[in-house]
Amino acid sequence: MTAVAERAVERRDPARGDGARIATQTGVLTVHAVRTMLSEHRLLLITLIEPLPMLLVFGQALSGLAHVPGFPRGVPYIDYLVPALMVTTALQSGLQSATRLTDNLAGGLMSRLRTMPLWLGSVLVAQSATGLVRGLFRLVTLVGLAWLGFGFQCRGGLVGLLLAAAVSMAVAWALGWVFMALACWFRHGDTLQAAAGLAMFPLMFASNAFLPVASLPPWLHAVAEVNPLTHGVTAVRALTLGGSALPAVAATFALALLVTAVAAPLAVRRVRRTD
Amino acid sequence: MTVPEEDSATETAAIATTRLVQRFGAVTALDGVDLAVPHGTVLCLLGHNGAGKSTLVDILTTLARPTSGAARVAGFDVVAEAHRVRRSIGVAGQFAALDDQMTPRATLVLLTRLHGFGRRAAHARADELLELFGLGEFTERPLRACSGGTRRRLDLAAALTGRPEVVVLDEPTAGLDPVSRLTLWEVVRGLARDGAAVLLTTQDLTEADRLADVVAVLRRGRLVASGTPDELKARVGSRAVTVRPADAVRAEQALRADGIRPSFDPARGTLSVAAASSRQVTAVLRALDAAGIDPGELSLSQPGLDEVYLALATGHDTVRGAA
Repeated sequence: MTAVAERAVERRDPARGDGARIATQTGVLTVHAVRTMLSEHRLLLITLIEPLPMLLVFGQALSGLAHVPGFPRGVPYIDYLVPALMVTTALQSGLQSATRLTDNLAGGLMSRLRTMPLWLGSVLVAQSATGLVRGLFRLVTLVGLAWLGFGFQCRGGLVGLLLAAAVSMAVAWALGWVFMALACWFRHGDTLQAAAGLAMFPLMFASNAFLPVASLPPWLHAVAEVNPLTHGVTAVRALTLGGSALPAVAATFALALLVTAVAAPLAVRRVRRTD
Repeated sequence: MTVPEEDSATETAAIATTRLVQRFGAVTALDGVDLAVPHGTVLCLLGHNGAGKSTLVDILTTLARPTSGAARVAGFDVVAEAHRVRRSIGVAGQFAALDDQMTPRATLVLLTRLHGFGRRAAHARADELLELFGLGEFTERPLRACSGGTRRRLDLAAALTGRPEVVVLDEPTAGLDPVSRLTLWEVVRGLARDGAAVLLTTQDLTEADRLADVVAVLRRGRLVASGTPDELKARVGSRAVTVRPADAVRAEQALRADGIRPSFDPARGTLSVAAASSRQVTAVLRALDAAGIDPGELSLSQPGLDEVYLALATGHDTVRGAA
């Protein structure tokens, strides 16, 4: 035992113990976070079946909306709905990353990481990456269920569908950083949930997600036009319904990049604070 | 010894603080602490709850910035060179800083990887630490299913993943069983033997007595005493000679007749006399012998560290020459 104890502090090898490179840190922490996510079976299951009630409720209750003004002709409501659910599902994934982050920030491991030679932004990147993996799972379940159980057809073909998934993930990534920045400021999961709930409702419903903006009252129309979610939904919808998607897709990616560029540094700056 | 008298001593010390002050609003948690811990030394920091121990630990481990004053760890400033300090330290706090979902082994591998070890080196290091802390049987069990003592041992193992040259342990043996405590003591001594500096806060005076090269007592944010355990004991009180004769009353009279003033403990039937030098021991025995009294049991007692602690940490001014 004593021999081992002595080896415990053998003279420092400069190549060791000085902290891993940032890429390694991020990689190690991402693998850890993804593993943790996969090991929580119940949470994972709930996360995966979450799109089902949305498909059922919205698909049935709102199917009459296919007759409102501005609704694309000859498009079944389910084909109109699924792109919107892809974006809102991705959005939920972003929020979930932030919720996990508040758990982590309060948890024991984080206080140890604070005393280690690390760039703590790697904790955020790892959480964000995990959010993308989770988002991908949910998108696969959503589209799978919609296709098998609700007759969803992707007119844009497989390429359109993959691009649509990529756009949804970009939205999830960007909003995930916003929520993580909030998490780093609020620290408490409850406060974060309340703030997110406050933001989520108008984001989802004052948009073109469930019905054409043309059918909205003028003031709501104006809100929906500037809602970033509207751009995301427009892009995804153009990709799955088949149409000229490029401007909306480019706009969504640009917006996602911009939002991330603002939110990520704010989150990173705040994460080391303990108060 | 721990109060730096020369700048060079402060510069070479593994841990050195100068007039360190920490205020939280109107509360002064640290009120000008000067401390120097050389490499190869174990310093035990004693003090009541709220004396400022954890505040000092937080500053030394870069978790908090001091209001004023300076602290250097492994030669680096804890504020300006925090990242370098973090490379040099290993920390175990009062609350096990670990992830409940992970197994002990996965935890150690993760932390070692984050310290920059390669994958294979990290696994080897993790196994080494599991063995060192007797955690071999718990390697694959998630931490939430492990006992409190196992968590604490893992927390300590985690503190050593990066082969730190300065180790800061905040009440490391709280909640450990006696065997684990002995293991920890052995590990700490081993660290110091190999040149690491260890700062350890504790409420356990036996621990301080067994482990410390230097004991420092913190009271209301001030360092009220520091020195080796023996130095501190010598400051608090003198030795005492205690006898238990068959007839304590007659023995007391005999002693008083010789000008010796014993104190009588009726519960034990013992007589005690302060004996700063061995001459006083002889005087007691000679007085009893002259009266033809058998001293019965005879013992010579040292003041314990608990007396030191009571005297210094609570501020009862029974201490001669207290700082």
